[in-house]
Amino acid sequence: MKIRVDENLCQGHGRCYSLAPELLSSDDEGFVTLKGSSMDVPAGMESAARQACNACPEDAITLED
Amino acid sequence: MSDTETKGGCPVVHIDYRQNRTAHETYANLNEVREMAPILWNETEPTAYWMVTRYDEVREALQRPDVFTNDVVSALGDPDSHIRLLPQNLNPPEHVWYRHVVNPWFSPGSLSRIEGYARQRCIELIEELRPRGGVDLTVEFALQFPTEVFLHLLGLPPSDGYKLLPAVEGVFRGFFGGPPEEMARDVATIKDYFAAVVDDRLVNPGDVKTDFVSYLLQSTVNGEPLPPEDVLVLCLTILLAGMDTTRSATGYIFEHLARNPEHRQMLIDSPDKIPAAVEEFVRLYSLVYQDGRYVAEDVEFHGCPMRKGDIVWLGLAQANRDPRKFDRPDEFVIDRESNKHLGFAAGAHRCLGAHLARMELVMVLEEWLARIPSFTLATDEPLTERGGQLMLHSVPLAWEV
Repeated sequence: MKIRVDENLCQGHGRCYSLAPELLSSDDEGFVTLKGSSMDVPAGMESAARQACNACPEDAITLED
Repeated sequence: MSDTETKGGCPVVHIDYRQNRTAHETYANLNEVREMAPILWNETEPTAYWMVTRYDEVREALQRPDVFTNDVVSALGDPDSHIRLLPQNLNPPEHVWYRHVVNPWFSPGSLSRIEGYARQRCIELIEELRPRGGVDLTVEFALQFPTEVFLHLLGLPPSDGYKLLPAVEGVFRGFFGGPPEEMARDVATIKDYFAAVVDDRLVNPGDVKTDFVSYLLQSTVNGEPLPPEDVLVLCLTILLAGMDTTRSATGYIFEHLARNPEHRQMLIDSPDKIPAAVEEFVRLYSLVYQDGRYVAEDVEFHGCPMRKGDIVWLGLAQANRDPRKFDRPDEFVIDRESNKHLGFAAGAHRCLGAHLARMELVMVLEEWLARIPSFTLATDEPLTERGGQLMLHSVPLAWEV
């Protein structure tokens, strides 16, 4: 599973890294550090990835299998 | 209102949202209007506007700043007498430059610096209240706590809140149709306060990590220092945003918990659910129930012919209770799988203070419920709410000591 954060849609609501701190972290401005990029979801963190994806009001996060 | 009255194929209503109402009547009305149509025309005073009422369309408009600009930020009140707000009234690219300046100050990392102070004050204020057996939340604790935290975050004396609050309340009255001369006077009071701070920091620069005005004076926008007038307007805007909303949110949350002991008990039994509860409260009791926008070019928006110069209401509270997006939309549901509410809006103008608001509201619930777990509303009289931007005027609580 891959998790991707759209560069243009992400506005720093912070829902993703608040709900899945083991998976995602934030930068100085409060944006998720994964903004504009993607990464493999480590084994066992799929649920956290789904929670993060389900929480973004901008629909900036997508999951790919 | 006539069933057959339409504009551009959309139903026409005549509703003045600046009026005060009985508590929760606004949400009932907003729901009703949303279910009439996804877009309506509100022929009202002082300015008519389009109302976009459903989640998908509201979010789409928030994500299209090229068409729906921030030259107007509220559909209510007279657009000609709106005061300039920063960065709220800006559009890209300027808006992005200004947000880069202020975002770090309001990020979760930055807020961790003041978390200790905030929690200490929260506990002290609650401990002072506890032996009294009652309080009118809106006029005391819910007002004091966010004000002190906010001013402390900016590096200003928390006691200055008592000077600024009457002016802040006056500006809100002005936003929603009060006399423009009074609003101008209240804006001047706030700007004079910050002008004195700016004058001082120009001669005695403070620590840019703890003194917001010093930080702004040393910041640049697109390579240029911020003009002092912009520093004043930024401070005014952020003050207005910070001092009213958290207070109002606290009022609605406690009124809900006073009436719903089972929700209260759940949070006492499982304090780890408090953050999710706060998100659900922000969804359910959205205070900024509309975000205004200016139509920058003619656009057909979901079948509705909007003209350049039109004003648009983006119904944030209507979106948050849209049954198309949220199951059981008018209920407090702690375990939603997805809660993508628009209580802090969306798009580039999403609430700068969202992280601060969450921190404060979570903290208030944690510390209050640990000390005053059981309380009721101390009146049988119906509560009332302010028009324009919701606030319960009075939330009298009582508990056993």
